[in-house]
Amino acid sequence: MTTGTHPPAAPPPDSDDELLPCGRLLSQVWAAWEDAVTDDHQRTCSHCRQAIGELEALRTSVRDLSHGTEAPDGFAAGALAHRVMDVVRLELRPGKPLPLGAPDDGMWIMESVAARTLRAAASRVPGVQASSCRIGYDDADGTGRATVSLGIQAPLSSTDLAELAENVRGQVEVAADQHLGLGIARVDIRVTDLVDVPGSTEEGHER
Amino acid sequence: MAGDRTSTAPPDTQAGLDDALLTVRAAEGDEEAFAVLVRRHAGALVGLATRLLGNQVEAEDAVQDAFISAWRRLPEFRGQSSFGTWIYRIVTNRCLNVLRARKPQAALDTAPEPAAPEHTVAPDRITEARAAVGDMRQALDGLSAEQRACWVLRELDGQSYESIADTVGISQQAVRARVFRARRHLTNAMGAWR
Repeated sequence: MTTGTHPPAAPPPDSDDELLPCGRLLSQVWAAWEDAVTDDHQRTCSHCRQAIGELEALRTSVRDLSHGTEAPDGFAAGALAHRVMDVVRLELRPGKPLPLGAPDDGMWIMESVAARTLRAAASRVPGVQASSCRIGYDDADGTGRATVSLGIQAPLSSTDLAELAENVRGQVEVAADQHLGLGIARVDIRVTDLVDVPGSTEEGHER
Repeated sequence: MAGDRTSTAPPDTQAGLDDALLTVRAAEGDEEAFAVLVRRHAGALVGLATRLLGNQVEAEDAVQDAFISAWRRLPEFRGQSSFGTWIYRIVTNRCLNVLRARKPQAALDTAPEPAAPEHTVAPDRITEARAAVGDMRQALDGLSAEQRACWVLRELDGQSYESIADTVGISQQAVRARVFRARRHLTNAMGAWR
């Protein structure tokens, strides 16, 4: 132990701290060792070295408690995910209802469901993935059509973002019309990130 | 991720997407994107919570609660940090609350022993290792919630003092003081049982 036999020359700043016989505070010795700023005294002082030795021994003995970033043995992520999702599905956030077809058809689709379809459509353009997809509906102009605001990750290798955006817009409009029956007035596209997609000319299709 | 090996869920069309993309989708109500995030992070988070709480059953409960809390708070999540950092913080604070609510010494006799690979280690080594881990768990139970959390994050998770201060919501100086007190307690305990 590092308990000294001499009375402390000055009261330690922390009641849990300890003044070593060499005059250094235990907290300072440990902090210096941890921050790798030990001086000549600490390297040669037997009291300091003993104090550091105890800390090293503690580290050695707690290794068995640490699993790094791995899950504990026997843990099943799927089972926990099922339990979480059981609760989540009771608290869905489907967004607002959007009219399908003519305004008086009485058919609606929830925004989050439509957004999922439109994101999938955007990803048919090689290397593209959609992030945010907001669908607005304003019948003020009497057209009864929706506006889509889409954020996309585009491939870094893309040489013509305007053309890429046009392709995405085309896919989204086709999906809205043919898969959902949702009239689209406008598709606004924001490129939120350019990402390195290996082989992006062959990827990007919804798997 | 290690925890996914036992999942029987069908392959997910979003499984290959990055966290940032999935987080935006989940915030807009896409529960399938959220499910991918849950499966991706659950193992590491249960590992963290087990280190903090010393008990895997409580750890899984804490992580489950943290994910549900995250789902509810996602619409307000503005991406100031990554999803991983955010959920790590939620889990840590959930575990801190569990530790604070514990009765003193309640877990002394119930600390689970680690699963040892018995076919590869000699029996006396197993006994010795289990005893050492058991002793350490008992010593850990003598720490306050804050001391324990700061020490685990520093010593077992290798977090910086700055990161721990952000996660726990106290100053770096306060984190250093708690880690120091934890180390004192644990080195003293080790000296006593040797």
